[in-house]
Amino acid sequence: MDDQPGLSDQYRMSSPWPLIVVLGLLFSELGLLFNVFPVAVGGLLLFVGAIAGIVLESGYADRPWNLLAGLGVALCVLGALVTVTQLDSVTFDAIATVVGRPNGIVGRGVELLIAGIVSVVIGAGGRFAESESI
Amino acid sequence: MVEAQLVLTALMGLFLAGVAVWLSRIEDWRSYTPLAGGGGAVGEESGYAHDEKPSGLIRWLTTVDHKDIGILYGAYSIIAFAVGGIMVILMRTELLTPDEAIIGSQFYNSLLTSHGITMLFLFGTPMIAAFGNYFIPLLVNAEDMAFPRINAIAFWMLPPGALLVWAGFLVVPFTDIQPAQTAWTMYTPLSAGVGTGTQAGVSGLGIDFMLLGLHFTGLSATMGAINFIATIFTDRGSDVNWANLDIFSWTMLTQSGLILFAFPLLGSALIMLLLDRNFGTTFFLAEGGGPILWQHLFWFFGHPEVYILALPPMGLVSFILPKFSGRKLFGFKFVVYSTLAIGVLSFGVWAHHMFATGIDPRIRASFEAVSLAIAIPSAVKVFNWTTTLWGGNLRLTAPMLFCVGAVSNFIFGGVTGIFTAAIPIDLVLHDTYYIVGHFHYILMGLLAFTVFAGIYYWFPIITGKMYQKRLAKWHFWLTMIGTNITFFAMLLLGYLGMPRRYATYTFGVGPQQIIEVLHQVTTLGAFILLVGQIIWVWNMIQSWYEAPTLQDNDPWDLKETGQFTNEWGWNERRLETAITDGGEEEETAMTDGGDPVDGSADTE
Ligand code: HEM
Ligand SMILES: [Cu+2]
Repeated sequence: MDDQPGLSDQYRMSSPWPLIVVLGLLFSELGLLFNVFPVAVGGLLLFVGAIAGIVLESGYADRPWNLLAGLGVALCVLGALVTVTQLDSVTFDAIATVVGRPNGIVGRGVELLIAGIVSVVIGAGGRFAESESI
Repeated sequence: MVEAQLVLTALMGLFLAGVAVWLSRIEDWRSYTPLAGGGGAVGEESGYAHDEKPSGLIRWLTTVDHKDIGILYGAYSIIAFAVGGIMVILMRTELLTPDEAIIGSQFYNSLLTSHGITMLFLFGTPMIAAFGNYFIPLLVNAEDMAFPRINAIAFWMLPPGALLVWAGFLVVPFTDIQPAQTAWTMYTPLSAGVGTGTQAGVSGLGIDFMLLGLHFTGLSATMGAINFIATIFTDRGSDVNWANLDIFSWTMLTQSGLILFAFPLLGSALIMLLLDRNFGTTFFLAEGGGPILWQHLFWFFGHPEVYILALPPMGLVSFILPKFSGRKLFGFKFVVYSTLAIGVLSFGVWAHHMFATGIDPRIRASFEAVSLAIAIPSAVKVFNWTTTLWGGNLRLTAPMLFCVGAVSNFIFGGVTGIFTAAIPIDLVLHDTYYIVGHFHYILMGLLAFTVFAGIYYWFPIITGKMYQKRLAKWHFWLTMIGTNITFFAMLLLGYLGMPRRYATYTFGVGPQQIIEVLHQVTTLGAFILLVGQIIWVWNMIQSWYEAPTLQDNDPWDLKETGQFTNEWGWNERRLETAITDGGEEEETAMTDGGDPVDGSADTE
């Protein structure tokens, strides 16, 4: 586990990612629990980004993009589930009512969804950009 | 409202940008710093080679070296120990007089809650992980922990956890938020904020903070446990096998197993409680799962937790005691078996904390039986320690004194435990100071004592120096006497019916005057303990900075009795490498040129 393929041997006993993973999780949990939109979304983005980063650094993946997009999809599913529980029926009307008058739970669902969508976009975008340049 | 959101969004954006900038700078250093001449050739043994880590603060923020992380864990835990200690000194001062005199009862309850949580989750568990991190890889001849980055994540979970647990105290001067007053057991409905006299509304945010903080420390412990298990199973050196695995690693392995089953359950229960508090679920409300459900979940975690905090200390005693008795641990195999037995049994006794709740008497009886049974493997250990001492060639160094003290205290703690395991006796003693005395004999008397023993024993490896022996003896005797005064008086208070968790004792239980005197004796003991710990901290810091570098690779003369274990061997190789390399920038540098010829003979 010591060697980190793809990196020079300098500072192989150090990594900036663990601290960032923790900060990401901290802000996600604080934001979601107390329903503070920017903190939740920012924290979630930091968290999934840091996971992609640390996995890349440890050599478990060659590129971060698929993982980032995958985690984004997971967040979307989670957010959608949380939101759907608040619907009376799965119709546009019901969705419109709930989003128009969001209760606390829908708020959290939307936070998860938005963070998820952004991650998917970044992941897909990164993939696209890299495939161009290579 | 909208403005606040905007400001927050901007701040969050700035923060993310800051992280990105920091990251890119670090990546730059990594790829462009030129290799220091010759430094690339360091053997795998010398984890301290300076070109493997950046310098200064960044080194500590980014390290994934198990030894650095061990030191971080240790420093963190000692700070937590100091915070928890200061909290309890305030509480004991309040209890000098029967009525509310110095701090209010609300503040007392907050301190009480935080003291318990701090000592168990922010001091006890991480302090054990500190020893594990530093020494398990050395003891089993692994290069590092199995997952160095997860190891770092596990550590960095802790500081935010502590800040959240203490958040109520930090914000109480500025807001209406109150620190949690739920006691460490967080019983519902009190902790769910239901009913009169509970912390509801804004003041209850302190509870949410604390639950979130606990969630973080739980994640940390779980990740650490996975790492210890993976390290001991898969990263052992070729010369370490199950037959010669040392006793400390055995206890850490068992403890990690307990953590793996206990902590995720606590984490889930905490989330359920947070949902009850914030999302209108009814897991622990009377109309839902009921308050007793919380007690079952909590103690299914809680009892294993007490062994999570007791097994590695028992391992430390088993490890260190023989070194100063001049002989091997008596009945090594049985110490291992009893460790495993305790590990299994500890999951079958949780309801002994609930004897007084009115649960089904048949359930109670079975839990009584298993609780009595768990005393057997505990007694096996005491027997083995005693027989190791018997006829041995004892050397009463500071680590040895603390080990012997720990055995003595553990006997008190264990015997008082057996009494409460018997239902009729427990119904009388439950929720009195007797219980507090019982578990402190183990937590202070065993856990803290063995922590001191371990720190003194390995001080030469960690710092390359020797502590001041005179101060260490003072530390021991003040701690030993203080512990026994404090907690024996608590046992007596319990017999007299003094209930636990009260800031006052003006209500008419038991003989007032004797109770008052005993409380004052308890407080006196606490102050003695405080003095002892101040001496200790002073000794550690001053010795680390000012003591001369130790030239002796075997400060405890372990080679004489054939007990020169792997971590000392590693230390010896490190010192010899340092000589042949012409010194490192680390504390272990040997600039006086020792005797390089001998030193170089067996380094490749
Ligand atoms: C010899 C084996 C032991 C037995 C039979 C035993 C028995 C008990 C029982 C029955 C109680 C509940 C008393 C009550 O609340 O009415 C209790 C409480 C407690 N024990 Fe032990 N115990 C043993 C060892 C330990 C160890 C090794 C530790 C810690 C490392 C420990 C820590 C605690 C704690 C923290 C509590 C109090 C929990 C609370 O209510 O806040 N015990 N013990
Ligand atoms: Cu128990």
